[in-house]
Amino acid sequence: MYQAFVGLEIHVQLLTKSKVFCGCRAAFGDEPNTNVCPVCMGYPGVLPTLNRQAIVQAYLVARALDCELSESAVFERKNYFYPDLPKNYQISQLGSPVGRNGRVDLDLGGSRRRVPIREVHLEEDAGKMIHAGDVSLLDYNRAGTPLLEIVTEPVLERGEEAELFLQYFRRMVRYLGVCDGNMEEGSLRCDANVSVNRPGKGLGSKVEIKNMNSSRFVKKALAFEIARQSGLLDRGAPVAQETRLWNENRDLTEAMRSKEEADDYRYFPEPDLPPFKPDAAFLLDVEKGLVELPSARRERLVAEYGLGPDQVDFIIDEKSRADFFERTVALGADPLAAASWLGSDVKRLLNREGVELAESPLTPERLAGLLVLLASGRIHGKIAKQVLEVLFAEGKDPETIIRERAWEQLIDAGAIAKLVDEAIDANEKAAAQIRAGDEKPVGFLVGEIMKATSGRAEPQLVRSVLKERLAKSR
Amino acid sequence: MNHSARWSNVLLSPDRTESYLDYARGWEKRIGSFLELSPPVPASPPRGDLAGIPFAVKDNIAVEGFNLTCGSKMLAGLKSPYTATAVRRLQEAGALVVGKTNLDEFGMGSSTDTSALARTSNPWDTSLVAGGSSGGSAAAVAAGIVPFALGSDTGGSIRQPAAFCGIYGLKPTYGAVSRYGLVAYASSLEGIGVVAESVGFARRVFEVIRGIDPLDHSSVEYLPSGQTPPRPRLGVVRGLAGLSGEIERAYRRAADLARGLGMEVSEVDLKTFDYVVPAYYTIATAEASANLARFNGIRYGLRPEGTENPEQLVKGARNRGFGDEVKLRILLGTYVLRSGFQDRYYVRAQKIRTAIRNDLQALFGAVDLLLLPVFPTAAFKHGEAGLTPFQQKLADRFTVTANLAGIPALSFPMGSEAGAPLGLQLLAPAFEEERLFRAAESFAEAVPLEHPPGYSEEWRS
Amino acid sequence: MELKELYVTASLAQLDLSDEEAETLSALVGQMVEYFSTMREIDVENLEPTTHALLKTNRVREDAVVESAAADTLVGNAPESEGRFIVIPNVL
Repeated sequence: MYQAFVGLEIHVQLLTKSKVFCGCRAAFGDEPNTNVCPVCMGYPGVLPTLNRQAIVQAYLVARALDCELSESAVFERKNYFYPDLPKNYQISQLGSPVGRNGRVDLDLGGSRRRVPIREVHLEEDAGKMIHAGDVSLLDYNRAGTPLLEIVTEPVLERGEEAELFLQYFRRMVRYLGVCDGNMEEGSLRCDANVSVNRPGKGLGSKVEIKNMNSSRFVKKALAFEIARQSGLLDRGAPVAQETRLWNENRDLTEAMRSKEEADDYRYFPEPDLPPFKPDAAFLLDVEKGLVELPSARRERLVAEYGLGPDQVDFIIDEKSRADFFERTVALGADPLAAASWLGSDVKRLLNREGVELAESPLTPERLAGLLVLLASGRIHGKIAKQVLEVLFAEGKDPETIIRERAWEQLIDAGAIAKLVDEAIDANEKAAAQIRAGDEKPVGFLVGEIMKATSGRAEPQLVRSVLKERLAKSR
Repeated sequence: MNHSARWSNVLLSPDRTESYLDYARGWEKRIGSFLELSPPVPASPPRGDLAGIPFAVKDNIAVEGFNLTCGSKMLAGLKSPYTATAVRRLQEAGALVVGKTNLDEFGMGSSTDTSALARTSNPWDTSLVAGGSSGGSAAAVAAGIVPFALGSDTGGSIRQPAAFCGIYGLKPTYGAVSRYGLVAYASSLEGIGVVAESVGFARRVFEVIRGIDPLDHSSVEYLPSGQTPPRPRLGVVRGLAGLSGEIERAYRRAADLARGLGMEVSEVDLKTFDYVVPAYYTIATAEASANLARFNGIRYGLRPEGTENPEQLVKGARNRGFGDEVKLRILLGTYVLRSGFQDRYYVRAQKIRTAIRNDLQALFGAVDLLLLPVFPTAAFKHGEAGLTPFQQKLADRFTVTANLAGIPALSFPMGSEAGAPLGLQLLAPAFEEERLFRAAESFAEAVPLEHPPGYSEEWRS
Repeated sequence: MELKELYVTASLAQLDLSDEEAETLSALVGQMVEYFSTMREIDVENLEPTTHALLKTNRVREDAVVESAAADTLVGNAPESEGRFIVIPNVL
């Protein structure tokens, strides 16, 4: 009976080596106040210098979100006092951001929702303030690391949709290589604005929700907030325009202490930085960074290789995995087999060893080698699994492994015939039964031969040679 | 140049440093131009184009190993952890920093009397101010303690004290000299420049400090036209009102002299002239309100005792750290940027700035140089006998134009009257500093440089 | 200028004005603001604001880490620190 309008404000910590306006290392988890210099500590007399990689990545994200790219991106000072903000203004963008009017066509599992992107702008992050009793501790390592802010129009209607959007977005920035997407460490942050109203009545009072540091919390917080606002409207109570924090321990949103007067950020153009005007060479660099995005890749992998929905979702979830998959296929592996192995045995081993695919001993060459051995019948499934184990343990090629361990399947008809004869001789009773037309012991004899060869004999071949022998001597 | 030959040896032995300090301290008792004076003892003879030449640096420009107080209680005792690009370039050319000079607090003033740390007086007459905000630098040069000093010019802060002290003062083209290391007051208007005892020094120093800097993205490649008209067309402004008698006489005398020196003198109008000061103060204070926000007592500088929360700490530091003029300008700048007022004041001022630039561009189609007074009067007296802060601001009307337009200007001495030196300024299109130097050299031939009583070169020989 | 406006402005600028200071400053700020109002007289209809002086070209820095030699000095400059943290009071 109510309609909810949810817009997201996403902050992306860009993966640059240095900070956005100075040469200090942009890193997470270092000793406090080690990656600092007079510029990012807001000393008197210093000036910001724009990191090219940060502006490239900003344009890249704007491009990937189908934004209109700014021909003159202007930096502005956003003025507010806070102890973790060294200059007491943040260099940000307002009037002429990097990108505007973009869109994402979000797959809602069956239906699609176009999510308009209002803007993409580049700014600097603040430091960190840790509260410790009656003091606060300040660490400026993060101050000046590049942040990209992405603002959507309020067109999402449910917590699940926001979660899907965030997952889509996270995957996209990881594909582009501009952010590691780690919400727990804060390299991807999401705030939301929520308003609820009767359908057709437009937006209601806007409530900002902060402190949701996982996509699951985004879903839960928004579901709670939509229900809370609907409940207020049910009772005819007003919804206060305010900022609320998600409390993950209590599963609810709480009003933040309100300030006496409204913020007035007094934005004005940053005189220390000339407006950035992308030229042809710069735009070419941006295009070079524009990889095939997850949604497009998903469609292509389904069309090209016939992957099923779950399989393809798993494969495209990480760009490195999808790249691995396609390289494996290009090296001759069967696509479905490759997808299935990546989704089962390989995944299990990676989890067990606690490593990422890219860091593991498995390479597309090795997986393709293994799958080709399997497909050509030189090894069978059970051995293949063992080969993978050894591959992870010893980091060798599948060929080497089966040669060293003499694991190659016995497919030589003469050799098999000799083994069959030996088995018949050793198990006369069973052989007789089969000759008499009772097929039951066939499995037993095949098993004996497999045992004798440590599983190397090709079972189908054994079975057919066995039947042939016992039929002949009838 | 024989001038620098005399200067290049003054610090090369302990004996010489002793005579240097004797001379300097003699003056300092009367004029107080330095906040910090500690000439270096070079381990080996310096090399370079300016080898061994001592110079002073305004205390809003960073020099590692020296304080960086900006004349404010807020930063008293702060040692700079780095060196400004302009200073580094001079040091690389062999010049030696002897100390840091007094200024109006954060460069906000026209007398150096808003300094919270020391009082500077004019070497010609200690009842007079040295001008400001680079008053310490100008006084030190006029007294013959250093042949040149770095200053900064946001709205006349180099040219006006240079005029008050009877020396040369160059405000370069915006961006020609890196601002890295200059404590920002109004970033889009200001730059580092030089006060000097001669055009020769001003030129040589400018040649060393100019040029694009990777640490200042608002600095630019120095690309002059390379053409200096042999018979420059000089514009003098029609109907300038409110000048004191001595300045009016000096202005007329200079115009007459220019004709005699072979310049083509013509009268011009400045259509936007009435709006330069309000536009300037709107933009300058707006930028200042943000530039001075970083001073909050947390990371460095003054921190009040016994505060209980960040807000008390920050407000306490700013209340105690800033003087009245600084507070006034921060409040003004905050006000003109506030939502609801920004279009009326800040944005409008920026549009007027465009009009001023257009005005000057048209003007420089008709003339090569523009002659203007620097200040409506000669150096005024300290305190109540002088000018009120508001009168001082209105009096910036001749200097702020160059800052709003980003063009170079050079103030030069034009003799003295009643024991106070007189100065005028020349303006040129962007990157045409050489035109200014040539014209000032012509004037120098006709008007010999005068020194204040007590000035001596003997100790240097 | 009205005192209320002055206090709002002072609060944005993190200045805590005493009554006496507020009195003096409101007169001085008012005087300047009134003077600024003369800017109304000039026609700026078709003019773009000049926000940057003479800056026409892009300036960027390559993404390379420059180890700051000053980090220890900077921590040392803080009026109060604990280990490598800079400390401020926060009594609840």
